[in-house]
Amino acid sequence: MDLETVMERAGPREFGPGDDLPEKYRKAATRMIQFHANSEVMGGYLDKTFTRKAPSLDRKLANTAKVQDEIGHAQLLYRAAETLGVKTRAEMLDELATGDGKFLNCFHYPVDSWYEAPMIDFFVDGGAMRRQATLKSTSWTPYAHAMDKVCFEEGFHVKHGESILRELMNGSKATQERMQETFDVWWPRILQFFGPTNDESVHDDFAQAVGLKTATNDELRTSFLNMYIPKAEKYGLEIPEYPRLYERDDGTMAVREDDLDWEEFWTISRNEYEGSKEQIGSRRRRQDAVEWVRESLETWESSAGPTPQTAD
Amino acid sequence: MSETPRSDAIDRRELSAEQQAAVEELLFRLADDEFVHAERLTEWQIYAPTLESDLAIANIAQDEFGHARLWYDLLKQLGYTEPECLWERDPTEWTHSLLVERPFDAGDWGDAVLRGYLYDAAERIRLEAVADTSYAPLADRVGKALEEEAYHREHATNWLERLTADDDGRARMQDALDELFPAALSLFDPGPREDDIVAFGFRTESLAAMRTEWLETIGPALEALGLDVPDPDQVARPNGRGRYGTHTDAWHDLYDEFTATYREVDFETPAQLRATEE
Repeated sequence: MDLETVMERAGPREFGPGDDLPEKYRKAATRMIQFHANSEVMGGYLDKTFTRKAPSLDRKLANTAKVQDEIGHAQLLYRAAETLGVKTRAEMLDELATGDGKFLNCFHYPVDSWYEAPMIDFFVDGGAMRRQATLKSTSWTPYAHAMDKVCFEEGFHVKHGESILRELMNGSKATQERMQETFDVWWPRILQFFGPTNDESVHDDFAQAVGLKTATNDELRTSFLNMYIPKAEKYGLEIPEYPRLYERDDGTMAVREDDLDWEEFWTISRNEYEGSKEQIGSRRRRQDAVEWVRESLETWESSAGPTPQTAD
Repeated sequence: MSETPRSDAIDRRELSAEQQAAVEELLFRLADDEFVHAERLTEWQIYAPTLESDLAIANIAQDEFGHARLWYDLLKQLGYTEPECLWERDPTEWTHSLLVERPFDAGDWGDAVLRGYLYDAAERIRLEAVADTSYAPLADRVGKALEEEAYHREHATNWLERLTADDDGRARMQDALDELFPAALSLFDPGPREDDIVAFGFRTESLAAMRTEWLETIGPALEALGLDVPDPDQVARPNGRGRYGTHTDAWHDLYDEFTATYREVDFETPAQLRATEE
Protein backbone atom coordinates (compact mmCIF):
# COMPACT_ATOMS: atom_id res chain seq x y z
CA MET A 1 0.00 0.00 0.00
CA ASP A 2 1.40 3.44 -0.80
CA LEU A 3 1.14 6.47 1.41
CA GLU A 4 -1.55 8.05 -0.66
CA THR A 5 -3.80 5.04 -0.23
CA VAL A 6 -3.06 4.98 3.48
CA MET A 7 -4.18 8.61 3.78
CA GLU A 8 -7.27 7.98 1.74
CA ARG A 9 -8.30 4.97 3.76
CA ALA A 10 -7.19 6.33 7.13
CA GLY A 11 -9.91 5.83 9.73
CA PRO A 12 -10.61 4.13 13.04
CA ARG A 13 -9.11 0.62 13.26
CA GLU A 14 -8.51 0.64 9.53
CA PHE A 15 -5.13 -1.11 9.37
CA GLY A 16 -3.74 -4.26 10.93
CA PRO A 17 -0.89 -6.76 10.74
CA GLY A 18 -2.40 -8.22 7.54
CA ASP A 19 -1.86 -4.96 5.63
CA ASP A 20 1.25 -4.17 3.67
CA LEU A 21 1.94 -0.70 5.04
CA PRO A 22 4.60 1.79 4.00
CA GLU A 23 7.61 2.17 6.23
CA LYS A 24 6.75 5.76 7.07
CA TYR A 25 3.46 4.70 8.59
CA ARG A 26 4.98 1.81 10.49
CA LYS A 27 7.75 3.98 11.89
CA ALA A 28 5.37 6.73 12.95
CA ALA A 29 3.08 4.22 14.64
CA THR A 30 6.01 2.52 16.34
CA ARG A 31 7.31 5.84 17.66
CA MET A 32 3.91 6.72 19.07
CA ILE A 33 3.16 3.35 20.67
CA GLN A 34 6.68 2.91 22.00
CA PHE A 35 6.41 6.34 23.65
CA HIS A 36 3.14 5.26 25.20
CA ALA A 37 4.53 1.92 26.42
CA ASN A 38 7.65 3.58 27.84
CA SER A 39 5.43 6.03 29.68
CA GLU A 40 3.57 3.19 31.36
CA VAL A 41 6.85 1.77 32.66
CA MET A 42 8.25 5.12 33.77
CA GLY A 43 4.95 6.12 35.37
CA GLY A 44 5.35 2.96 37.42
CA TYR A 45 8.56 4.35 38.91
CA LEU A 46 6.54 7.15 40.46
CA ASP A 47 3.60 5.04 41.54
CA LYS A 48 5.90 2.51 43.12
CA THR A 49 7.02 5.21 45.54
CA PHE A 50 3.43 5.74 46.61
CA THR A 51 2.93 2.08 47.49
CA ARG A 52 5.48 2.34 50.29
CA LYS A 53 3.99 5.63 51.48
CA ALA A 54 0.30 4.70 51.40
CA PRO A 55 -1.29 5.50 54.78
CA SER A 56 -3.86 2.69 54.79
CA LEU A 57 -3.79 -0.99 53.94
CA ASP A 58 -6.54 -0.62 51.35
CA ARG A 59 -4.71 2.25 49.68
CA LYS A 60 -1.58 0.17 49.60
CA LEU A 61 -3.46 -2.68 47.92
CA ALA A 62 -5.00 -0.31 45.38
CA ASN A 63 -1.59 1.12 44.67
CA THR A 64 0.20 -2.17 44.07
CA ALA A 65 -2.67 -3.17 41.80
CA LYS A 66 -2.22 0.03 39.85
CA VAL A 67 1.50 -0.50 39.31
CA GLN A 68 0.69 -4.00 38.18
CA ASP A 69 -1.85 -2.64 35.70
CA GLU A 70 0.76 -0.26 34.32
CA ILE A 71 3.22 -3.04 33.63
CA GLY A 72 0.37 -4.96 32.02
CA HIS A 73 -0.36 -1.96 29.80
CA ALA A 74 3.30 -1.71 28.86
CA GLN A 75 3.23 -5.38 27.91
CA LEU A 76 0.16 -4.88 25.71
CA LEU A 77 1.53 -1.75 24.08
CA TYR A 78 4.97 -3.13 23.31
CA ARG A 79 3.19 -6.04 21.68
CA ALA A 80 1.01 -3.67 19.64
CA ALA A 81 4.18 -1.84 18.58
CA GLU A 82 6.04 -5.05 17.77
CA THR A 83 3.35 -6.09 15.30
CA LEU A 84 4.47 -3.18 13.11
CA GLY A 85 7.69 -5.03 12.42
CA VAL A 86 10.01 -2.08 13.07
CA LYS A 87 11.46 -2.92 16.51
CA THR A 88 11.32 -5.85 18.89
CA ARG A 89 10.20 -5.44 22.47
CA ALA A 90 13.73 -6.17 23.67
CA GLU A 91 15.05 -3.35 21.50
CA MET A 92 12.47 -0.93 22.83
CA LEU A 93 13.22 -1.88 26.44
CA ASP A 94 16.93 -1.48 25.78
CA GLU A 95 16.34 1.96 24.34
CA LEU A 96 14.43 2.91 27.46
CA ALA A 97 17.31 1.87 29.71
CA THR A 98 19.98 3.57 27.60
CA GLY A 99 18.12 6.87 27.47
CA ASP A 100 17.11 6.69 23.79
CA GLY A 101 13.50 5.87 24.57
CA LYS A 102 11.14 8.80 25.06
CA PHE A 103 8.27 9.09 27.53
CA LEU A 104 5.79 11.59 28.98
CA ASN A 105 7.14 14.80 30.49
CA CYS A 106 5.46 14.29 33.88
CA PHE A 107 7.36 11.09 34.49
CA HIS A 108 10.70 12.87 34.33
CA TYR A 109 10.07 14.44 37.74
CA PRO A 110 10.97 12.14 40.65
CA VAL A 111 8.44 12.06 43.50
CA ASP A 112 8.93 11.64 47.20
CA SER A 113 5.66 12.38 48.98
CA TRP A 114 2.16 10.99 49.25
CA TYR A 115 0.81 14.44 48.32
CA GLU A 116 2.10 13.80 44.83
CA ALA A 117 -0.03 10.66 44.46
CA PRO A 118 -3.14 12.56 43.30
CA MET A 119 -0.98 14.65 40.95
CA ILE A 120 -0.03 11.50 39.09
CA ASP A 121 -3.04 9.30 39.73
CA PHE A 122 -5.75 11.89 39.28
CA PHE A 123 -4.49 14.72 37.09
CA VAL A 124 -1.85 13.04 34.96
CA ASP A 125 -3.83 9.85 34.59
CA GLY A 126 -6.93 11.94 33.95
CA GLY A 127 -5.07 13.74 31.20
CA ALA A 128 -3.89 10.41 29.83
CA MET A 129 -7.49 9.24 29.82
CA ARG A 130 -8.48 12.18 27.60
CA ARG A 131 -5.80 11.21 25.12
CA GLN A 132 -6.34 7.48 25.34
CA ALA A 133 -10.06 7.71 24.82
CA THR A 134 -9.40 9.27 21.41
CA LEU A 135 -6.88 6.56 20.59
CA LYS A 136 -9.59 3.93 20.65
CA SER A 137 -10.20 5.20 17.11
CA THR A 138 -6.58 5.14 15.98
CA SER A 139 -5.98 3.57 12.59
CA TRP A 140 -3.58 0.85 13.85
CA THR A 141 -6.02 -1.80 15.09
CA PRO A 142 -3.73 -3.56 17.63
CA TYR A 143 -3.17 -0.16 19.29
CA ALA A 144 -6.91 0.52 19.40
CA HIS A 145 -7.51 -2.90 20.96
CA ALA A 146 -4.90 -2.20 23.62
CA MET A 147 -6.69 1.08 24.37
CA ASP A 148 -9.95 -0.74 25.10
CA LYS A 149 -8.36 -2.54 28.03
CA VAL A 150 -6.13 0.34 29.09
CA CYS A 151 -9.01 2.84 29.24
CA PHE A 152 -11.12 0.44 31.24
CA GLU A 153 -8.44 0.06 33.88
CA GLU A 154 -7.38 3.70 33.85
CA GLY A 155 -10.89 4.56 34.87
CA PHE A 156 -10.19 2.86 38.20
CA HIS A 157 -6.83 4.59 38.56
CA VAL A 158 -8.37 8.00 38.17
CA LYS A 159 -11.00 7.18 40.80
CA HIS A 160 -8.21 5.99 43.10
CA GLY A 161 -6.35 9.28 42.58
CA GLU A 162 -9.51 11.31 43.06
CA SER A 163 -10.26 9.53 46.29
CA ILE A 164 -6.77 10.33 47.63
CA LEU A 165 -7.17 13.97 46.64
CA ARG A 166 -10.57 14.18 48.33
CA GLU A 167 -9.18 12.66 51.50
CA LEU A 168 -6.17 14.97 51.65
CA MET A 169 -8.33 18.03 50.97
CA ASN A 170 -10.54 16.97 53.85
CA GLY A 171 -7.52 16.74 56.13
CA SER A 172 -6.11 19.31 58.53
CA LYS A 173 -5.37 22.85 57.37
CA ALA A 174 -1.68 21.98 57.19
CA THR A 175 -2.44 18.99 54.98
CA GLN A 176 -4.59 21.10 52.68
CA GLU A 177 -1.88 23.73 52.39
CA ARG A 178 0.70 21.11 51.61
CA MET A 179 -1.62 19.70 48.95
CA GLN A 180 -2.05 23.15 47.40
CA GLU A 181 1.73 23.72 47.35
CA THR A 182 2.21 20.40 45.60
CA PHE A 183 -0.50 21.28 43.11
CA ASP A 184 1.15 24.63 42.36
CA VAL A 185 4.35 22.82 41.45
CA TRP A 186 2.67 20.17 39.31
CA TRP A 187 0.01 22.21 37.54
CA PRO A 188 2.26 23.67 34.79
CA ARG A 189 3.78 20.24 34.17
CA ILE A 190 0.31 18.81 33.81
CA LEU A 191 -0.65 21.51 31.31
CA GLN A 192 2.46 20.66 29.31
CA PHE A 193 1.48 17.02 29.36
CA PHE A 194 -0.49 17.78 26.20
CA GLY A 195 2.54 19.13 24.43
CA PRO A 196 2.91 22.41 22.60
CA THR A 197 0.28 24.03 20.41
CA ASN A 198 -0.35 22.20 17.21
CA ASP A 199 1.87 24.17 14.88
CA GLU A 200 4.96 23.48 16.99
CA SER A 201 4.55 19.75 17.28
CA VAL A 202 7.01 17.82 15.16
CA HIS A 203 5.19 14.62 14.33
CA ASP A 204 1.54 15.57 14.54
CA ASP A 205 0.66 16.38 10.97
CA PHE A 206 1.61 13.03 9.57
CA ALA A 207 0.19 11.08 12.50
CA GLN A 208 -3.15 12.79 11.97
CA ALA A 209 -3.10 12.41 8.20
CA VAL A 210 -2.79 8.64 8.51
CA GLY A 211 -5.31 8.39 11.34
CA LEU A 212 -2.88 7.35 14.06
CA LYS A 213 -3.79 10.40 16.07
CA THR A 214 -7.41 11.50 16.08
CA ALA A 215 -7.36 14.69 18.16
CA THR A 216 -5.01 17.65 18.30
CA ASN A 217 -3.00 18.61 21.39
CA ASP A 218 -5.16 21.68 21.71
CA GLU A 219 -8.37 19.74 21.64
CA LEU A 220 -7.10 17.33 24.25
CA ARG A 221 -5.88 20.08 26.55
CA THR A 222 -9.15 21.93 26.22
CA SER A 223 -11.09 18.82 26.98
CA PHE A 224 -8.91 18.19 30.03
CA LEU A 225 -9.27 21.72 31.34
CA ASN A 226 -13.02 21.74 30.93
CA MET A 227 -13.29 18.55 32.88
CA TYR A 228 -10.58 18.92 35.53
CA ILE A 229 -10.63 22.56 36.56
CA PRO A 230 -14.12 22.15 38.04
CA LYS A 231 -12.98 18.96 39.77
CA ALA A 232 -9.88 20.58 41.24
CA GLU A 233 -11.98 23.49 42.49
CA LYS A 234 -14.63 21.20 43.87
CA TYR A 235 -12.04 19.67 46.20
CA GLY A 236 -10.84 23.11 47.26
CA LEU A 237 -7.73 23.51 45.16
CA GLU A 238 -7.02 26.94 43.76
CA ILE A 239 -5.89 27.10 40.17
CA PRO A 240 -2.58 29.04 40.19
CA GLU A 241 -2.65 32.51 38.63
CA TYR A 242 0.16 31.51 36.28
CA PRO A 243 0.16 30.06 33.69
CA ARG A 244 -2.82 32.23 32.80
CA LEU A 245 -5.93 30.57 31.50
CA TYR A 246 -8.52 32.29 29.38
CA GLU A 247 -11.89 31.54 27.94
CA ARG A 248 -12.23 31.30 24.22
CA ASP A 249 -15.18 32.75 22.33
CA ASP A 250 -16.84 29.35 22.27
CA GLY A 251 -16.64 29.11 26.06
CA THR A 252 -13.80 26.58 26.19
CA MET A 253 -10.67 27.11 28.26
CA ALA A 254 -7.16 27.61 26.93
CA VAL A 255 -3.69 28.34 28.35
CA ARG A 256 -1.38 31.22 27.54
CA GLU A 257 1.44 29.13 26.32
CA ASP A 258 4.01 31.88 26.82
CA ASP A 259 3.54 31.40 30.54
CA LEU A 260 4.86 27.86 30.37
CA ASP A 261 8.52 26.88 30.46
CA TRP A 262 9.04 25.35 27.05
CA GLU A 263 12.78 25.22 27.39
CA GLU A 264 12.33 22.77 30.25
CA PHE A 265 9.78 20.85 28.21
CA TRP A 266 12.10 20.45 25.23
CA THR A 267 15.03 19.56 27.48
CA ILE A 268 12.82 16.83 28.92
CA SER A 269 11.78 15.66 25.49
CA ARG A 270 15.47 15.11 24.69
CA ASN A 271 15.85 13.15 27.97
CA GLU A 272 18.35 15.75 29.14
CA TYR A 273 16.57 17.25 32.13
CA GLU A 274 18.09 16.59 35.55
CA GLY A 275 15.10 14.46 36.53
CA SER A 276 15.26 12.60 33.21
CA LYS A 277 18.79 11.54 34.04
CA GLU A 278 17.73 10.44 37.49
CA GLN A 279 14.73 8.44 36.30
CA ILE A 280 16.44 6.90 33.29
CA GLY A 281 19.56 6.20 35.34
CA SER A 282 17.42 4.39 37.86
CA ARG A 283 15.88 2.36 35.06
CA ARG A 284 19.29 1.49 33.64
CA ARG A 285 20.84 0.53 36.98
CA ARG A 286 17.89 -1.61 37.93
CA GLN A 287 17.89 -3.37 34.58
CA ASP A 288 21.67 -3.90 34.66
CA ALA A 289 21.38 -5.38 38.14
CA VAL A 290 19.11 -8.17 36.89
CA GLU A 291 20.90 -8.77 33.60
CA TRP A 292 22.29 -12.00 35.06
CA VAL A 293 18.74 -13.29 35.50
CA ARG A 294 17.86 -12.68 31.86
CA GLU A 295 21.08 -14.45 30.85
CA SER A 296 20.17 -17.42 33.03
CA LEU A 297 16.73 -17.50 31.45
CA GLU A 298 18.22 -17.53 27.97
CA THR A 299 20.54 -20.39 28.91
CA TRP A 300 17.59 -22.27 30.30
CA GLU A 301 15.39 -21.66 27.30
CA SER A 302 18.02 -22.64 24.78
CA SER A 303 18.75 -25.87 26.65
CA ALA A 304 15.22 -26.76 27.72
CA GLY A 305 13.38 -29.79 26.42
CA PRO A 306 10.73 -30.00 23.71
CA THR A 307 8.09 -28.10 25.68
CA PRO A 308 9.80 -24.97 26.94
CA GLN A 309 7.91 -23.08 29.58
CA THR A 310 8.42 -19.51 30.58
CA ALA A 311 8.89 -18.58 34.18
CA ASP A 312 6.66 -15.72 35.02
CA MET B 1 -9.27 -29.33 55.26
CA SER B 2 -12.61 -29.83 56.89
CA GLU B 3 -15.64 -28.21 55.31
CA THR B 4 -17.70 -28.40 58.45
CA PRO B 5 -16.66 -26.60 61.61
CA ARG B 6 -15.36 -28.65 64.49
CA SER B 7 -17.97 -29.66 67.01
CA ASP B 8 -15.89 -27.93 69.70
CA ALA B 9 -15.51 -24.77 67.60
CA ILE B 10 -15.15 -21.56 69.56
CA ASP B 11 -16.81 -18.39 68.41
CA ARG B 12 -15.20 -15.07 69.26
CA ARG B 13 -17.85 -14.14 71.78
CA GLU B 14 -17.06 -17.26 73.78
CA LEU B 15 -13.32 -16.64 74.15
CA SER B 16 -11.90 -16.52 77.65
CA ALA B 17 -9.26 -13.89 78.33
CA GLU B 18 -6.49 -16.47 77.98
CA GLN B 19 -7.95 -17.84 74.81
CA GLN B 20 -8.24 -14.40 73.34
CA ALA B 21 -4.61 -13.58 74.13
CA ALA B 22 -3.52 -16.82 72.46
CA VAL B 23 -5.62 -16.34 69.37
CA GLU B 24 -4.35 -12.78 69.03
CA GLU B 25 -0.77 -13.98 69.12
CA LEU B 26 -1.52 -16.56 66.45
CA LEU B 27 -3.23 -13.98 64.23
CA PHE B 28 -0.53 -11.36 64.62
CA ARG B 29 2.13 -13.89 63.68
CA LEU B 30 0.24 -14.73 60.51
CA ALA B 31 -0.72 -11.17 59.62
CA ASP B 32 2.64 -9.55 60.35
CA ASP B 33 4.50 -12.12 58.28
CA GLU B 34 2.21 -11.57 55.31
CA PHE B 35 2.28 -7.81 55.56
CA VAL B 36 6.03 -7.44 55.92
CA HIS B 37 6.73 -10.07 53.26
CA ALA B 38 4.44 -8.24 50.84
CA GLU B 39 5.95 -4.87 51.74
CA ARG B 40 9.40 -6.16 50.81
CA LEU B 41 8.18 -7.90 47.65
CA THR B 42 6.70 -4.67 46.32
CA GLU B 43 10.26 -3.35 46.17
CA TRP B 44 10.58 -5.49 43.04
CA GLN B 45 7.70 -3.85 41.23
CA ILE B 46 9.11 -2.16 38.11
CA TYR B 47 12.58 -3.55 39.00
CA ALA B 48 12.02 -7.23 38.13
CA PRO B 49 14.08 -8.80 35.31
CA THR B 50 11.24 -8.97 32.77
CA LEU B 51 7.75 -7.53 32.41
CA GLU B 52 6.30 -11.00 33.00
CA SER B 53 8.26 -11.60 36.21
CA ASP B 54 7.32 -8.08 37.32
CA LEU B 55 3.65 -8.90 36.98
CA ALA B 56 4.06 -12.22 38.72
CA ILE B 57 5.87 -10.91 41.77
CA ALA B 58 3.47 -7.99 42.04
CA ASN B 59 0.63 -10.43 41.92
CA ILE B 60 2.13 -12.43 44.76
CA ALA B 61 2.73 -9.30 46.84
CA GLN B 62 -0.86 -8.36 46.21
CA ASP B 63 -2.07 -11.77 47.41
CA GLU B 64 0.05 -11.53 50.55
CA PHE B 65 -1.29 -8.08 51.39
CA GLY B 66 -4.73 -9.56 50.86
CA HIS B 67 -3.95 -12.36 53.30
CA ALA B 68 -2.59 -9.88 55.80
CA ARG B 69 -5.91 -8.07 55.51
CA LEU B 70 -7.81 -11.31 56.16
CA TRP B 71 -5.93 -11.86 59.41
CA TYR B 72 -5.97 -8.21 60.52
CA ASP B 73 -9.71 -8.23 59.89
CA LEU B 74 -10.03 -11.05 62.39
CA LEU B 75 -8.08 -8.96 64.88
CA LYS B 76 -10.43 -6.07 64.20
CA GLN B 77 -13.31 -8.33 65.11
CA LEU B 78 -11.54 -8.77 68.43
CA GLY B 79 -11.57 -5.03 68.98
CA TYR B 80 -8.38 -3.80 67.33
CA THR B 81 -8.38 -0.90 64.90
CA GLU B 82 -6.25 -0.72 61.77
CA PRO B 83 -3.92 1.85 63.40
CA GLU B 84 -3.51 -0.47 66.38
CA CYS B 85 -2.66 -3.34 64.05
CA LEU B 86 -0.38 -1.42 61.72
CA TRP B 87 0.20 2.30 61.82
CA GLU B 88 0.50 3.06 65.50
CA ARG B 89 1.74 -0.26 66.73
CA ASP B 90 5.17 -0.03 68.24
CA PRO B 91 7.72 -1.65 65.91
CA THR B 92 9.02 -3.74 68.80
CA GLU B 93 5.60 -5.36 69.14
CA TRP B 94 5.56 -6.79 65.64
CA THR B 95 5.98 -10.54 65.57
CA HIS B 96 6.91 -11.35 61.97
CA SER B 97 9.84 -13.63 61.32
CA LEU B 98 13.30 -12.29 60.57
CA LEU B 99 13.17 -13.75 57.07
CA VAL B 100 10.60 -11.35 55.71
CA GLU B 101 12.05 -8.11 57.06
CA ARG B 102 15.39 -8.49 55.29
CA PRO B 103 16.07 -5.79 52.71
CA PHE B 104 16.89 -6.85 49.15
CA ASP B 105 20.24 -6.00 47.60
CA ALA B 106 19.78 -4.38 44.19
CA GLY B 107 19.48 -7.05 41.53
CA ASP B 108 19.34 -9.93 44.00
CA TRP B 109 16.47 -11.68 42.29
CA GLY B 110 17.86 -14.93 43.68
CA ASP B 111 16.99 -13.68 47.16
CA ALA B 112 13.46 -12.81 46.03
CA VAL B 113 12.93 -16.26 44.50
CA LEU B 114 14.46 -18.25 47.32
CA ARG B 115 12.84 -16.18 50.05
CA GLY B 116 9.50 -16.71 48.36
CA TYR B 117 10.19 -20.43 48.16
CA LEU B 118 11.17 -20.81 51.80
CA TYR B 119 8.31 -18.63 52.93
CA ASP B 120 5.63 -20.23 50.79
CA ALA B 121 6.68 -23.74 51.83
CA ALA B 122 6.22 -22.67 55.45
CA GLU B 123 3.02 -20.84 54.60
CA ARG B 124 1.37 -23.96 53.24
CA ILE B 125 2.30 -25.91 56.35
CA ARG B 126 1.03 -23.34 58.75
CA LEU B 127 -2.20 -22.72 56.85
CA GLU B 128 -2.86 -26.44 56.84
CA ALA B 129 -2.14 -26.43 60.57
CA VAL B 130 -4.96 -23.92 61.12
CA ALA B 131 -7.37 -25.42 58.58
CA ASP B 132 -8.87 -27.47 61.38
CA THR B 133 -8.62 -24.73 63.99
CA SER B 134 -11.04 -24.55 66.85
CA TYR B 135 -11.38 -20.80 66.28
CA ALA B 136 -14.39 -20.65 63.99
CA PRO B 137 -13.78 -17.25 62.32
CA LEU B 138 -10.28 -18.34 61.30
CA ALA B 139 -11.42 -21.65 59.86
CA ASP B 140 -13.66 -19.81 57.41
CA ARG B 141 -10.78 -17.95 55.82
CA VAL B 142 -8.04 -20.47 55.37
CA GLY B 143 -9.25 -22.02 52.11
CA LYS B 144 -8.83 -18.94 49.95
CA ALA B 145 -5.32 -18.28 51.17
CA LEU B 146 -4.29 -21.90 50.61
CA GLU B 147 -5.47 -21.80 47.01
CA GLU B 148 -3.35 -18.78 46.24
CA GLU B 149 -0.32 -20.22 47.97
CA ALA B 150 -0.27 -23.14 45.53
CA TYR B 151 0.37 -20.69 42.73
CA HIS B 152 3.11 -18.97 44.70
CA ARG B 153 4.94 -22.24 45.23
CA GLU B 154 4.71 -23.09 41.56
CA HIS B 155 6.14 -19.70 40.70
CA ALA B 156 9.04 -20.12 43.12
CA THR B 157 9.77 -23.64 41.96
CA ASN B 158 9.81 -22.68 38.27
CA TRP B 159 12.27 -19.92 38.99
CA LEU B 160 14.46 -22.06 41.22
CA GLU B 161 14.85 -24.58 38.40
CA ARG B 162 15.89 -21.89 35.99
CA LEU B 163 18.27 -20.06 38.28
CA THR B 164 20.07 -23.21 39.34
CA ALA B 165 20.47 -24.48 35.78
CA ASP B 166 23.95 -23.01 35.31
CA ASP B 167 26.99 -22.67 37.56
CA ASP B 168 26.77 -18.92 37.99
CA GLY B 169 23.11 -19.05 38.90
CA ARG B 170 23.58 -21.97 41.25
CA ALA B 171 26.42 -20.22 43.07
CA ARG B 172 24.22 -17.16 43.53
CA MET B 173 21.39 -19.30 44.85
CA GLN B 174 23.73 -21.06 47.26
CA ASP B 175 24.81 -17.68 48.63
CA ALA B 176 21.19 -16.66 48.99
CA LEU B 177 20.37 -19.91 50.77
CA ASP B 178 23.27 -19.52 53.20
CA GLU B 179 22.08 -16.01 53.98
CA LEU B 180 18.38 -16.70 54.22
CA PHE B 181 18.24 -20.09 55.89
CA PRO B 182 19.12 -18.97 59.43
CA ALA B 183 16.56 -16.16 59.21
CA ALA B 184 13.96 -18.54 57.81
CA LEU B 185 14.27 -20.77 60.87
CA SER B 186 12.72 -17.95 62.88
CA LEU B 187 9.46 -18.72 61.08
CA PHE B 188 9.09 -21.56 63.57
CA ASP B 189 10.22 -19.79 66.71
CA PRO B 190 7.59 -19.78 69.44
CA GLY B 191 6.04 -16.68 70.97
CA PRO B 192 5.11 -16.39 74.67
CA ARG B 193 1.69 -18.05 74.25
CA GLU B 194 2.69 -20.90 72.02
CA ASP B 195 1.57 -23.59 74.47
CA ASP B 196 -1.90 -22.06 74.76
CA ILE B 197 -2.24 -21.76 70.99
CA VAL B 198 -1.88 -25.52 70.69
CA ALA B 199 -3.68 -26.42 73.92
CA PHE B 200 -6.83 -24.53 72.88
CA GLY B 201 -6.72 -26.11 69.45
CA PHE B 202 -6.25 -22.82 67.60
CA ARG B 203 -3.45 -24.53 65.72
CA THR B 204 -3.49 -28.30 65.45
CA GLU B 205 0.26 -28.76 64.99
CA SER B 206 3.17 -27.77 67.20
CA LEU B 207 5.83 -25.47 65.79
CA ALA B 208 8.39 -28.22 66.24
CA ALA B 209 6.39 -30.60 64.04
CA MET B 210 5.86 -27.86 61.44
CA ARG B 211 9.55 -27.05 61.39
CA THR B 212 10.37 -30.72 60.81
CA GLU B 213 7.86 -30.91 57.99
CA TRP B 214 9.30 -27.76 56.44
CA LEU B 215 12.86 -29.06 56.62
CA GLU B 216 11.72 -32.31 55.05
CA THR B 217 10.00 -30.39 52.27
CA ILE B 218 12.65 -27.87 51.33
CA GLY B 219 15.73 -30.02 52.06
CA PRO B 220 15.33 -32.71 49.40
CA ALA B 221 13.88 -30.25 46.88
CA LEU B 222 16.80 -27.83 47.15
CA GLU B 223 19.37 -30.61 47.21
CA ALA B 224 17.89 -32.03 44.01
CA LEU B 225 18.75 -28.68 42.43
CA GLY B 226 22.37 -28.99 43.50
CA LEU B 227 22.21 -26.76 46.56
CA ASP B 228 23.61 -27.58 50.01
CA VAL B 229 21.07 -26.98 52.73
CA PRO B 230 22.80 -25.92 55.98
CA ASP B 231 22.38 -27.99 59.11
CA PRO B 232 19.70 -26.18 61.12
CA ASP B 233 21.42 -27.00 64.39
CA GLN B 234 24.76 -25.63 63.24
CA VAL B 235 23.87 -22.29 61.69
CA ALA B 236 24.47 -19.06 63.57
CA ARG B 237 21.10 -17.46 64.13
CA PRO B 238 20.76 -13.74 63.48
CA ASN B 239 20.30 -11.34 66.35
CA GLY B 240 16.69 -10.78 67.20
CA ARG B 241 13.99 -13.36 67.58
CA GLY B 242 11.28 -11.91 65.36
CA ARG B 243 8.44 -13.56 67.15
CA TYR B 244 9.22 -11.77 70.39
CA GLY B 245 9.34 -8.41 68.71
CA THR B 246 13.11 -8.11 68.61
CA HIS B 247 14.17 -7.34 65.09
CA THR B 248 17.07 -6.30 62.93
CA ASP B 249 17.78 -2.64 62.15
CA ALA B 250 16.42 -3.14 58.64
CA TRP B 251 12.97 -3.63 60.15
CA HIS B 252 13.04 -0.33 61.99
CA ASP B 253 14.03 1.51 58.82
CA LEU B 254 11.25 -0.19 56.89
CA TYR B 255 8.72 0.60 59.60
CA ASP B 256 9.71 4.27 59.59
CA GLU B 257 9.28 4.41 55.83
CA PHE B 258 5.90 2.79 55.54
CA THR B 259 4.39 4.67 58.49
CA ALA B 260 5.81 8.08 57.51
CA THR B 261 2.77 9.37 55.62
CA TYR B 262 0.38 8.08 58.24
CA ARG B 263 2.23 9.97 60.97
CA GLU B 264 2.38 13.09 58.86
CA VAL B 265 -1.18 13.38 57.58
CA ASP B 266 -2.86 12.49 60.83
CA PHE B 267 -6.17 11.31 59.39
CA GLU B 268 -8.83 10.26 61.84
CA THR B 269 -9.02 6.78 60.33
CA PRO B 270 -7.09 5.06 57.55
CA ALA B 271 -9.12 4.92 54.33
CA GLN B 272 -11.24 1.81 53.92
CA LEU B 273 -12.09 1.12 50.33
CA ARG B 274 -14.36 -1.86 50.74
CA ALA B 275 -17.40 -2.58 52.83
CA THR B 276 -16.42 -3.31 56.41
CA GLU B 277 -17.21 -6.73 57.72
CA GLU B 278 -18.80 -7.39 61.00
